[in-house]
Amino acid sequence: MKSFTYTITDEVGIHARPAGLLVKEAKKYGSVVRIEKEGKSAEAGKLMALMGLGVKKGDTVTVTVEGEDEETAAENLEIFFKNHL
Amino acid sequence: MKEKKSGQFFAAAQQIGKSLFLPIAVLPFAGLLLGVGSSFTNATTIEAYGLSGILHPGTVLFGLMRIFADTGNAIFGNLPLIFALAIALGMSKREKGVAVMSAGIFYIVMLMTIHSLLVLNGSIVDGVVSETVKEGAIAEILGMKTLQMGVFGGIIAGLLAAVLCNRFYKLQLPSALSFFAGTRFVPILSMACAILTGAVLYVIWPVIQNGIYSLGSLVQASGYAGTFIYGCLERALIPFGLHHIFYMPFWQTGVGGTALIDGVTVMGAQNIFFAELASPDTVRFSVDACRFLTGKYPFMMGGLPGAALAMYVTSKSEKKKEVGSLLFSVGLTSFLTGITEPIEFTFLFLAPSLFAVHVVLAGLSFMTCHILKICVGTTFSDGLIDLVLYGILPGQSKSNWIMLIPVLIVYFLLYFVLFRFFILRWDLKTPGREAEGESAHLISKEEYRKKTGVGMAGGQSSGAKSDERSAAILKGIGGIENLIDIDCCATRLRLTLADSQKVDEALLKASGASGVVVKGSGVQVIYGPSVTIVKSNLEEYVGQVQAGEMNEKSLTLGAYMKGRVIPLKEVKDDAFASEALGKGIAIEPSEGSLYAPADGVIETIFDTKHAIGMTADDGAELLLHIGIDTVKLGGKYFETLVLPEQRVKKGELLANFDPDAIRAEGYLCTTPMIVCNTDDFKEMETVSEGNVDPGQDILVLK
Repeated sequence: MKSFTYTITDEVGIHARPAGLLVKEAKKYGSVVRIEKEGKSAEAGKLMALMGLGVKKGDTVTVTVEGEDEETAAENLEIFFKNHL
Repeated sequence: MKEKKSGQFFAAAQQIGKSLFLPIAVLPFAGLLLGVGSSFTNATTIEAYGLSGILHPGTVLFGLMRIFADTGNAIFGNLPLIFALAIALGMSKREKGVAVMSAGIFYIVMLMTIHSLLVLNGSIVDGVVSETVKEGAIAEILGMKTLQMGVFGGIIAGLLAAVLCNRFYKLQLPSALSFFAGTRFVPILSMACAILTGAVLYVIWPVIQNGIYSLGSLVQASGYAGTFIYGCLERALIPFGLHHIFYMPFWQTGVGGTALIDGVTVMGAQNIFFAELASPDTVRFSVDACRFLTGKYPFMMGGLPGAALAMYVTSKSEKKKEVGSLLFSVGLTSFLTGITEPIEFTFLFLAPSLFAVHVVLAGLSFMTCHILKICVGTTFSDGLIDLVLYGILPGQSKSNWIMLIPVLIVYFLLYFVLFRFFILRWDLKTPGREAEGESAHLISKEEYRKKTGVGMAGGQSSGAKSDERSAAILKGIGGIENLIDIDCCATRLRLTLADSQKVDEALLKASGASGVVVKGSGVQVIYGPSVTIVKSNLEEYVGQVQAGEMNEKSLTLGAYMKGRVIPLKEVKDDAFASEALGKGIAIEPSEGSLYAPADGVIETIFDTKHAIGMTADDGAELLLHIGIDTVKLGGKYFETLVLPEQRVKKGELLANFDPDAIRAEGYLCTTPMIVCNTDDFKEMETVSEGNVDPGQDILVLK
């Protein structure tokens, strides 16, 4: 299992548009990607659950990646977060 | 683990019971022939009705009656073979015809094996049963003198043939032998197994026979108390559908007694009764047999109609009309045919305590008939039809049926008084007494549609025949993936499921069922005598779904705003227009209200109140997003009226907003509705364009 933490800088947080992008990104990998915020966690492939977390600007989330391609997935996701969130 | 085993046992027992329904269905007809035929060939009856002029040996009518009696008797006499065939039919999963033929082979080979062994050990000498053999242990079945195993012999043969068929119907053999492979191998193997089974039974059956005899004599010796317990147990097993398995030994084997009639040893209460009915020498039907048969008349013809009346008088006055027709029909069914499940299930699930009362009264009913020596036989169940054939026609001197009339009247009053008392005392929710706004029984088509969301406009658009009830049943059992097997008995749809946890009893009841029983991997849905049609429709529907003609998930979403429908691709926000979030639709609102597009549960309300996520009852995950980029308003101009995890009805107001103010701030109010789990549906069809009103059909998911 790989994981990293990230503090959201995007103005609106993980909301519709960025959330949609994140779901798409997460679905590229065979691994299961989970986002955790203050004890609540959601699978990054599931839009509703993801948006249900209500992640806003300034929140720190923990991203965990588990599965066959976790190495590459975690690396790419970290880049994705920096570029989009 | 234990629970799983009991579940499997229940599923298997349920299936055996249900398999027996095909042969049991023929019994009333066979009984009718036997009853009419033997009554009118009986010298005493002919004389009593003054018919000796046209009815005597030599007349055509007498010959016809003789044929009626003999052919009816042929069914009862060969019930083990019929059971063997029926069980193979019911228990085999594929190639049922092969299983049935194999069961026939199995049964005759098994009997003949035992016959040969009996000849070899000297029990049968020159075709005559040796005097050292216990009376009744050897009988002539299908022309073979063999161990008397009653219907058990047939059940064993049928079960094993079905197991062999299920296991080997696809067996592959080396190419030289390939002619004998697969289905052709099953009868061959059945013959071999039948020889082995016959040999095993030859050794162990005499032991079982002794056991049955002693159990039978114990029951016989236990007298009135034994009859009472028999009656209570028989009724108490009804909810589990296991009553057929319980009474069958009493009706068909030595457990229910043994009698010598016309020089033939007959075993089992029902067999004894019908042998006596057929015999011209019978003076009086035997009480020892009829104690297991007659006891149902008082509560089926008297008691349960009384209970129906009690439920009617205690129902709310405004509901009397609709409840009256239901109760009248179930009460009449019980009175005429003795089919009691429709009425029993109207109170079993709503008021289980009443069923407990019913069980005790049923036990007392059996005991009363025993004490009063009333002997009216039955083929299947105890209603007016059977009373006429097996009580009134054979005559008072044989059956003492006249004594039954005061008992029926007492039972009618007793049930009426007791049911009325308990319903009022415990405030039981029998039909017509439900709390305001819920009707557990007579659910109208409209209510049913609303409740299930099935078959609402747009449901037929696939072109295939829509079948609302079948769709609701599939929904109620957790979808077609969860369905393993469909079957039914007289009143219940019997489904075998992969996971019975997924059953939604409320949905199943909404499909018009009066009750639902879940146990192990089986679920029984009680519809009453029309169940065979429900079953056929369901099978057809499942076939259509499997063939891809129809998707069971058909969900019609209503317009969630007043305004103009626009395709999602034309929304001026790439996140939505690109369908990256999922497919959907959008509305340009003309008013500031957002309504629920379907029944479902609210999942999330965003802090900024401009978007709501909900899961519709069909599993569609919907995102309703008011305006474009309105997240930046930070909640200003929005007011949400629901909370997460709240259940909402289609058309319920979810949020208000101020479109003018939002537009004045420079934002669009275009509101997309996204189906986030688009991949779970095969297709999505927009069924409205232009201006829509809230609730109008807008999007159909399949």
